[in-house]
Amino acid sequence: MSTRRLQKELLELKNEGAPAGIQLLKGDDFQSWILSIEVLGESLYKGDKFALEFRFDSQYPIAPPSVTFVVNEQFQAPEHPHVYSNGHICASILANEWSPVLTVSAVCITLQSMLASCKRKERPPDNDRYVARAPADPRRTRWAFHDDDV
Amino acid sequence: MKVKVKNWHAIAQWRWDTGTSSDTHDADDEGDVCGICRVPYEGCCPSCKMPGDDCPLIWGECTHIFHMHCLLKWIGTAASKQQCPMDRRPWVTAERKINN
Repeated sequence: MSTRRLQKELLELKNEGAPAGIQLLKGDDFQSWILSIEVLGESLYKGDKFALEFRFDSQYPIAPPSVTFVVNEQFQAPEHPHVYSNGHICASILANEWSPVLTVSAVCITLQSMLASCKRKERPPDNDRYVARAPADPRRTRWAFHDDDV
Repeated sequence: MKVKVKNWHAIAQWRWDTGTSSDTHDADDEGDVCGICRVPYEGCCPSCKMPGDDCPLIWGECTHIFHMHCLLKWIGTAASKQQCPMDRRPWVTAERKINN
């Protein structure tokens, strides 16, 4: 299922364009895509550009993609109470609230609004402890979701 | 003048009766695709080769419609919590609605 659905999503991104502030940087296979994400308008992240990596397996979209912020020479993970410094994101829609009707673009928009509504730039309280022992794939982390409004 | 029909081709078109008028249907209307696989209802789910009765639709009491195979794949996972992918309400299969 995954390849055919991703083909359709890719075509839509290319034909209709990505949502405002989102850009497809790499989408040349059906294993991993990279999209840049900027928060438009006034926010703590004004002028910042981040990159999201989506990794898909054959279960997509029945199972969620693995989504992380890219951390390399060019990109950093945004400083946000739900984003760990290794790029892992604590967001319910990427875990227990995933739905197969969600798309790459819908996930980007959700994360964009998560950043837009942020009131304090800070790491999660358990950042160092988590990052030290985090699995490579954040889908293997058992997240506890504390609040809905950050 | 006399016209003699030498041969003819019959062409038929079919659609699932989803309760929406075919007048409102157009090629890039997002409303007519299965939300899970994004293939039109009249196409088949990614696991099937032939559209039609072998790859039917399933109606929920919440009014959402999917390819049956797509929905069952989702409902078969623990992660689905047996909820409709659209509104997260408990999935209840409805009797197939046929208008009038």
